[in-house]
Amino acid sequence: MQFVQNFPFFSIILSLFSGPLSSILGGKKAKWVNIAVISIVGCLSVAVLAFVLSTGEEYVYMMGHFPAPWGNEIRVGILEALMAVFFCLIMLLSMLGGEKEREQEIEESKQNLYYVMVDLLLCSLLALIYTNDIFTAYVFVEINTISACGLIMIRQNGRTIEAATRYMIMSLLGSGLLLLGICFLYDLTGHLLMSNIQEKVRELYETGGYHIPLIVALGLMSVGLAIKSALFPFHSWLPDAYGYSTLSSAAILSSLVSKGYIFLLVKIFYRVIGFDIVRDSRVVDVLFVFGIAGMIMGSLSAIRENNIRRMIAYSSVAQIGYIYMGFGLETTAGVIASLYHIISHAATKSLLFVAASGITDVSGDSTSFFDLTGAGYRNKLAGVAFTVGSLSMVGVPMFAGFISKLLFAQAAVESVNKILPTLIALAISTILNAVYFMKTVIRIYTPEKRKVLKQKQYTTVKMKDQPVKSAALICFIALNLFLGLFSEPIIELIQAGLEMFA
Amino acid sequence: MNASIMVIVILLPILAGAPIPLIPFKNRTQMMVYIEGIVLLNSILVIAMLFHRPEEALVLFKFTGNLSISFRLDGLGTVFAGIVSALWPLATLYSFEYMKHEGHEKYFFMFYVITYGVTLGIALAEDILTMYFFYEMLTLVTLPLILHTLSREAVLASRTYLYYSLGGAAFAFIGMVFVLTYGTTSVFTPGGVIDLAKLGDRKNLLLIIYVICFCGFSVKSAMWPFSSWLPKAGVAPTPVTALLHAVAVVKAGAFTTIRVTYYSFGTELLRGTWAQYLLMTLVIFTIVYGCSRALKETHLKRRLAWSTVSNLSYILFGVVLMTPAGLVGALSHMVFHAVMKICSFFCAGAVIYKSGKNYIHELEGMGRKMPKVFVIFTISGLALMGVPGLCGFISKWNLAKAAVESQNPLAYVGVAALLVSALLTAIYMMTISVRAFFPGKNFDYNSLKGVEDPNWMMLLPLVLFVIAMFVFGLHSEPVISGLETIASAMQ
Amino acid sequence: MNGWILLPVFLPAGAGAILLVSSFLEHLKGKEDRPGREELHRLHVFVGAILLISAALALIAAWTGDRSVTLFYLMKDIPVYFRIDEVGRLFVTFVSIVWVAVLFYSFVYMKHEGEEKRFFGFYLLVYGILVGLDFAGNLVTMYLFYELMTLASMPLVLHNGSREAIMAALKYLFYSMCGAYMGLFGIFFLYRYCDTLAFTAGGTLNLAAAQENSTILLIAVFVMLVGFGAKAGMFPLHAWLPAAHPVAPSPASAVLSGVIVKSGVLAAIRVVYYLVGTEFLRGTWVQTAWLTLTLLTVFMGSMLAYREPVFKKRLAYSTVSQVSYILFGLAAMSETSVTGALLQTVFHAFTKCALFLTAGIFIFQCGKTRVDELSGIGKKMPVTLWCYTFASLALIGIPPASGFISKWYLAEGALEADMGVFGWLGPVVLLVSALLTAGYLLPITMRGFFPGKEDGTGEASLEPSKGMLIPLMVLAALAILPGIFPNPLIRYIQQFVSALL
Repeated sequence: MQFVQNFPFFSIILSLFSGPLSSILGGKKAKWVNIAVISIVGCLSVAVLAFVLSTGEEYVYMMGHFPAPWGNEIRVGILEALMAVFFCLIMLLSMLGGEKEREQEIEESKQNLYYVMVDLLLCSLLALIYTNDIFTAYVFVEINTISACGLIMIRQNGRTIEAATRYMIMSLLGSGLLLLGICFLYDLTGHLLMSNIQEKVRELYETGGYHIPLIVALGLMSVGLAIKSALFPFHSWLPDAYGYSTLSSAAILSSLVSKGYIFLLVKIFYRVIGFDIVRDSRVVDVLFVFGIAGMIMGSLSAIRENNIRRMIAYSSVAQIGYIYMGFGLETTAGVIASLYHIISHAATKSLLFVAASGITDVSGDSTSFFDLTGAGYRNKLAGVAFTVGSLSMVGVPMFAGFISKLLFAQAAVESVNKILPTLIALAISTILNAVYFMKTVIRIYTPEKRKVLKQKQYTTVKMKDQPVKSAALICFIALNLFLGLFSEPIIELIQAGLEMFA
Repeated sequence: MNASIMVIVILLPILAGAPIPLIPFKNRTQMMVYIEGIVLLNSILVIAMLFHRPEEALVLFKFTGNLSISFRLDGLGTVFAGIVSALWPLATLYSFEYMKHEGHEKYFFMFYVITYGVTLGIALAEDILTMYFFYEMLTLVTLPLILHTLSREAVLASRTYLYYSLGGAAFAFIGMVFVLTYGTTSVFTPGGVIDLAKLGDRKNLLLIIYVICFCGFSVKSAMWPFSSWLPKAGVAPTPVTALLHAVAVVKAGAFTTIRVTYYSFGTELLRGTWAQYLLMTLVIFTIVYGCSRALKETHLKRRLAWSTVSNLSYILFGVVLMTPAGLVGALSHMVFHAVMKICSFFCAGAVIYKSGKNYIHELEGMGRKMPKVFVIFTISGLALMGVPGLCGFISKWNLAKAAVESQNPLAYVGVAALLVSALLTAIYMMTISVRAFFPGKNFDYNSLKGVEDPNWMMLLPLVLFVIAMFVFGLHSEPVISGLETIASAMQ
Repeated sequence: MNGWILLPVFLPAGAGAILLVSSFLEHLKGKEDRPGREELHRLHVFVGAILLISAALALIAAWTGDRSVTLFYLMKDIPVYFRIDEVGRLFVTFVSIVWVAVLFYSFVYMKHEGEEKRFFGFYLLVYGILVGLDFAGNLVTMYLFYELMTLASMPLVLHNGSREAIMAALKYLFYSMCGAYMGLFGIFFLYRYCDTLAFTAGGTLNLAAAQENSTILLIAVFVMLVGFGAKAGMFPLHAWLPAAHPVAPSPASAVLSGVIVKSGVLAAIRVVYYLVGTEFLRGTWVQTAWLTLTLLTVFMGSMLAYREPVFKKRLAYSTVSQVSYILFGLAAMSETSVTGALLQTVFHAFTKCALFLTAGIFIFQCGKTRVDELSGIGKKMPVTLWCYTFASLALIGIPPASGFISKWYLAEGALEADMGVFGWLGPVVLLVSALLTAGYLLPITMRGFFPGKEDGTGEASLEPSKGMLIPLMVLAALAILPGIFPNPLIRYIQQFVSALL
């Protein structure tokens, strides 16, 4: 075994321990620890990715060298490593981008707690990505939920507490269903390690035994994770949670936390049950329908929304709908599209949140749509970044969103009977996206009258004034363009990773 | 000629146009020389390229897998690139004078010049993805031009424009993906690229997707029910309305529908199907609808815009005939309408510039004060009506000829619609001219004091357009036979 | 080289254009278009000379043999092509005569309308275009001149520039355009189904191809006939005539009513007899519908004229009615009826012109426009009213005036043609209409000469100057004389009519 194979384990442990460590540090130091941890984990993940690519096959890492069924395993393939790299990257940029807001919005004494939560969140995400044990996954799902709650609540005002409570309730409901599903599976198969369960499930499936309990288990797990990842119609907690929490929380929650659950669902589909069985079970059809409904309804809600943060949050509902629709297409191409969308949406959504904060910053901290008039001139970089994010969301070529739209559409065309609903939903949702995003873009580039400017005492922000945030935004823009223009290597990686999965 | 010239003509305006706001020009003349220089140079390059057509294709950039941005100049592209490159320098010249009273010139010219490159990108696109790419870009780079005045009206108009265009692109996107998946290649090939073996018995699906795709692309050419953005976009400065909303942008819409119909889906599969009938019905309706709206409209530029809506559907009518002759008709109207409509828009712009009057009832007596402009306006009106001897007649003739030859009963209705529309055109164009020249017996000309013909920068393009209208009208042979060569590849 | 036959087209058109440009330039300089005596005289000499030369050239070209010339190719297989044939010859002759006569009349008349340069400019221009129309050798060339004629004659209507005149001119323009486009609709189909669009007696329709698509082709031909009928004032596109005539200067209404409406007739002849051919149309619903429309128009026009109090409007309705006689003759498609139609074309041109010139004289001399103002007028201007009376007799068709001959042929042709109910209905309608014509024209003579007691007698003579009177007398004579010596004309027409059928 090579040293590099330890890295996944190291990164989980590293982020896990940095949490308690931060709790005894001051806010500033905790921040540095946090950034360091994310960067180190990112580097480690890159190394792992390189290693997996070079060997060309996945490997299983037994914790403490205990073999199954007693031990706990980590399983690393290209896809896992890729996700880890991206999650770290986006988390880092989100943390950098939201630095100023954190300092303003969170009480001085609780600053370090925030970093504890972020460290734990990173840890749980990594664990969700890497683990090969379904119960371990459940445990980290819970850790994830708790830390996410903390991230929402830490900015203390009435709304966040309410939002956190709602989030907690919905999430726990989801976790409960997930747990039930896992129990069912354990009952049926007697295993908790994914690969073992899959063998057993296949056996059962071929003999035809326990068909209904199997489907119920699958359904419970899918619904549980769908609730947690805010699939329509279980999204009611989302706009408040993303809309009122502090900037970096919103960015991380929207781009990473929900994606972590979705990635777990992919693992369950491929690793635990087997995709052909999932396909036969018609569970995906249900996901497909709700996905499409989410695409439309999420956008419609976003159009009605006047608060820019909540608008972006609603847009997430739509984008989650895209991802589930991709699963619903029942083809590998559809899943590839969904996975690509996880990445591109994560990159875009966090960009939008950060850019939106840059815009609201210079509009008297008002998130109201009407106060944003001319904001693009007051904070040029944020304006450009928001435009890039919007264009990407609308799916204009050159930007990340276009490629995922293209992949979805291509997957749809290859599917047999879902082609028209998918394509039309895609088109309609594009139009709806265009409506609310481009409306905002035009708004921020319509100059405000001089009188109003004076009266409201709007400020102007230059790039130099906020070096960290500006750097984060520039990186986001670059990342978006990279995903839009040079998507081929990433798609190939996802493809290769998915082959290892199956 | 080397294939790399295609990239040069696309990138030159984009790269040279983008820094215009940053360049510290000493005075206005310097800026004018710079801009006109670039545009003219580019047009010369384009025309040189059209005469020495580079045969091979050029791949600029690879997106994913087999999807790439690549260029090739074929006959159809030649036509569109030719129109664009001939009109751009003239329109630029005109806008120097016009934009004096609009302000923010540098930003205006920046996008104006960039749009040139993007439009050429559509003309030179080798495959459907490249075309789609530039099609979307076109929406984005022309948006600031509509937004230019930043008035409330302009904001609303640009929003509508954006929603319609992006929405249209979203539907066009469906067709593109379909072609990418079911085509043997994504490269435009006369006669279409659909792989019949792969398609199997899903022909109805193909038709549905084709209709969706056609509608999507035809949003830019303002087919009903997607037409209302165009008149609204008339709030933009006149050079924009004239060049972009009568030629470059809207013709790009028509051009893309031609590409999709004749070069991607293939007319063989589509002719005689319900899809053809459905689209033809829409197009015919638009022809009449646009004219009727023009008739009702009292705002000069909006009236011309509605007229454009109708005339664009002439082109689309030729497209949906789905015969080589139909393509000839469509292309000839594409060329001729460009000249006629830009000319009438420029006249309208000259009136607005000199007198600040926007409504038709305000134009009374203006014919005596701005005789040159109104004589030219009348001529362009006659051309739009299709008076023989001017170019409008030729294209109408070709379209109707194709329709009659197609022996399609609905096409006969289309011919009737063409003529109804011609009549309505006569009404809405001639009333303007007559009122301008004959304001009534006791008209007080003192109320028009200070109104006069504009200077040479505005007049020169107008005169050239008039000459072109006559030349094309009386000696259309070379153009038409050129178009026939292009269309003959469709057999 | 037959290029010179285009001289009568381009010479007046060019001269007209020069006048227009110079009038326009003067206008720009702010000068009123009211030339001084000297200048006016020069203008008259110039216009008169040009028109006389052109008319002479036109007649020489027309009567010295068949000539043809191709000017250039408008499109690949569509030349702008001129050929002088029998019908064209006939048309160009009466057009020239009327045009010259009315020109001299308008030298005097236009003094009170002003802007003479512009008027004569358009007057010459229209003449050139009309000659081109008559000489046109194929359908597209004809269409070209047809449209140009509409555009160039419109300014004649709106000459006085009042709001009313402008509206009337626009109405004229739009009706004519509507008609022209309907014609164009048919042209597209004829282009497809005819072997050639060059006029050939008897038609060039490719019958084999046409039979297969006869439905649409019949529709196309019908649309065409209705469309060209607009210019000839045929129902349902006749409404421009009564609007345009009262506001136009009288010479303009005279040529409009006498000559320009005939271009609609010419177009119908060209389409039916030179392209489609009677074989294809005879007995179809198109013929029936056409006949019905013409008879309806004949009757309706007369009725409306009968009720109309404004003199020029009454004459306009009369034109509506009378020109449809011609169309009826054409629609009947028999040798005799076509002969009658052509005779009526020529006679009506002279007659209606004369009538409008009298109306002009009434306006010019005493400003009277309504019929009821005209009682007793015969005492003041007997010569004028006598001319009016002769022309009226011709129009009604009382022998030996010319109208009798043409109507005789029309009625006989209708009876002779095998077309069922129209065989007897046609002549009946013609007769009723003739009675109505008498009813609306003759009371003016009667009340003019015998006003009853109340009107003052012994007033000074209001007879117009010779410049107006002589053209009127010439035209009135031309309205009567051919009725007395009709044979050369009939012979000329009969010699080619049989080839048309």
